[in-house]
Amino acid sequence: MWEFYARSFNASTIFMVAALGELIGQRAGVMNVGVEGAMLFGATIGFIVAKTTGSYLLGFLAAIAVGAAIGALHGFFSITLGGDQVVNGMGIWILGFGLTAYIGYPYTGPLGLERIPSVAGISPFFFLGIVLIAVAWFVLFKTNVGLKLRSVGENPSVAEVSGVNVVRTRYLSVITSGMFMGLAGGIYALDYNPVWNYNFLMGWGFVALALVFFSMWNPFILLGGSVLFGALWQLSLNPELLFEDTVSRYIWRTVPFVVTIGALALMSTQWFSSRWGAAKPEALGMPYEKD
Amino acid sequence: MTDIKHGDIVLAAKGITKRYPGLVANDRIDFEIKAGEIHAILGENGAGKTTLMSILFGLVQPDEGEIYAFGKKVHFRSPLDAIDLGVGMVHQTRKLIPAHTVLENILLGHPKAGTILDMKRAGEEVAQLCKHYNYPLDLNAKVWHLAEGEKQMVEIFKALYRGAKVLIMDEPTSALAPPETEKLLESIQVMTRDELAIVPFITHKLPIVLAVSHRVTILRRGQVVARLDTKQSTEQSLAREMVGRDVIFRLERGKAARGRSILRVENLSAFDDKGAQALTDVSFDVHEGEIFGIAGVSGNGQQALAEVLAGLRKAKSGRVLFDDAEISHLTSLQRWQKGIGYIPAEQRTVGSIGNFSLVENMLMNYHFDDAFSKWGFLNEKKARQLTEALIAEYGVATPSPDVKARGLSGGNLQKLILARVFSRKPRLIIVNLPTQGLDVGATEFVQNKLLEARKSGAGILLISEDLDEILALSDRIAPIYEGKFMDVIPAESAVRETIGALMAGLEKKAAA
Repeated sequence: MWEFYARSFNASTIFMVAALGELIGQRAGVMNVGVEGAMLFGATIGFIVAKTTGSYLLGFLAAIAVGAAIGALHGFFSITLGGDQVVNGMGIWILGFGLTAYIGYPYTGPLGLERIPSVAGISPFFFLGIVLIAVAWFVLFKTNVGLKLRSVGENPSVAEVSGVNVVRTRYLSVITSGMFMGLAGGIYALDYNPVWNYNFLMGWGFVALALVFFSMWNPFILLGGSVLFGALWQLSLNPELLFEDTVSRYIWRTVPFVVTIGALALMSTQWFSSRWGAAKPEALGMPYEKD
Repeated sequence: MTDIKHGDIVLAAKGITKRYPGLVANDRIDFEIKAGEIHAILGENGAGKTTLMSILFGLVQPDEGEIYAFGKKVHFRSPLDAIDLGVGMVHQTRKLIPAHTVLENILLGHPKAGTILDMKRAGEEVAQLCKHYNYPLDLNAKVWHLAEGEKQMVEIFKALYRGAKVLIMDEPTSALAPPETEKLLESIQVMTRDELAIVPFITHKLPIVLAVSHRVTILRRGQVVARLDTKQSTEQSLAREMVGRDVIFRLERGKAARGRSILRVENLSAFDDKGAQALTDVSFDVHEGEIFGIAGVSGNGQQALAEVLAGLRKAKSGRVLFDDAEISHLTSLQRWQKGIGYIPAEQRTVGSIGNFSLVENMLMNYHFDDAFSKWGFLNEKKARQLTEALIAEYGVATPSPDVKARGLSGGNLQKLILARVFSRKPRLIIVNLPTQGLDVGATEFVQNKLLEARKSGAGILLISEDLDEILALSDRIAPIYEGKFMDVIPAESAVRETIGALMAGLEKKAAA
């Protein structure tokens, strides 16, 4: 029983960190649907660096750095060139899918390092994730840079006439956003499941993306959502931990996605949007062009 | 504000010229404003007001000419330069973030906001400002909760908190209910006592100019045509300078035979786009040969009402009857065919298709007519003839009927839409904000057309936030506030102040 909870927390950590990154980007108006791609890059590069140098620290730094680079790439297309964010995000996913399979192939197999110590089965990254959530909340809602970031996500032209550098603020957020996604990938490949395999993520990034909408762009709701989805995901991987005799795990595997669709359907109803609808950043997905 | 003395010239523009391809938007304009002065700039659309305003705020750089702030020559490369030198701008379309609180909006971009926002200190300072100008504001309220007048004050306080000594205000009283306008005018008069300089840019609403300003500069076709002391001018003299000819302010409404009831609305309720209740239990009727005026500040349910009647929005409950037959279930097209015409407030997005030619736009109300489309083929020749005839009849200024609608000015586009709808001789016309953003000349034209339609027996539902327009045109007036009619008042017994107060939700129906 405890094993199930511990594993759920560990799974939720990955959702939490990746989705927090996406949330930061979306709060500034930039949507990156290629979370999965950024995570694949972070995971693969982190894995390779850690395996060749034998250093976890270098592995994580590499994961974060490659995430930042992916974030900057997304920024270049969607901020500087003003391209379609969804199309570009899909490009990042496909690029990540293909390129990491190619780069990582020779490293297929286990990491071969001593496991990162855990606390009663719970990864230290779970606690790190909670700290990151709290810090992100504080920065977003209590600091000047957070106010600027939220403002460029709501209405960049208002921010501009108030003296905010919209382009710089959006770059800052989209690069930070990429760093979180890279880190989430690193946590997956170096701690949660330290074995490299072809397309090993299989949808974690997309669930993280959905979680941001689910969270109403609030980091604390995101924390709750991550834990819920972590548990559902874990259930789909090892249902036997909780139920002795159960339906196929392939059925359980659909549960997180069914819940996601259900939650998103609920959120798009008039009933919901009239109560909570104001949360969505108004300029989300829209490139900013000066008149 | 200690180093500025009353009467010092705080901002001056000398010989400002700005050319655009085929057009001199500003032609050697001189302008100055003194501390403690209200200096209005008047002009019709296209007179060069927007260009001048953009130049004074650093959004646009002039081709020639100089700007002086506090006696020193300055060069505004961006609005930020202007803000730093004490020039604040109050925009017509509010530059505020609705999802953020009042205080967050005021602090956004403030150079002294600090790394970690000191909300407490800033809150106290802004509250002090509110107190000084006797305008209480809940600083922690989200901006989307505020009334239009309050939002404008937030913009003003934002500029003042940032140290503005000159306030440029773009159409400051548009979208305000009359009591809000009075409050605003009071506040800006207090501000002049603190040696602030205020530059309102105004297209119409001339009485307001006369009420508060000290001096007026009038632009026409990019040039300064007059500089007047307000004391020595009248509404007529200002309008004459603006338009270049005499303008009649008293519209001759005349008598029209009020016929039978043509539209009946019973207990109508509807939601807005966000799913909030926009319209609650509204009942009224419109007769033939009558203009039924709905007076209200935008955002009080008029939009939902117009869309429900035009068949563009589903009602939540209630009935709509046309000619005593229920039409609630009819599509927009079926309503057109029955003789219900709709002139929407959004000329560019609902009233026309920018990338279509004028002929194609004209067809938007004729494509269902057998004379213009048979077996799926459009009769282009006929459509073209019709468009040409209507362009001539309505005086739409355009080089050809083949230009795209997006190229027309607001006034000309509205004439085209009017021509399209009126030429179908509808028996009921629903018209929303018909003269919004139009200059004095075009406004006069549109209002006369509405009166003509009334005279020929059409029933007209006029929705407007311009109380003067409502009073001038309507036979009966219904002030609307938060989705409800506050009263229905016959024109003979309409009192301006009472309707103004009802529009702001101040008095309940008790008066009636």
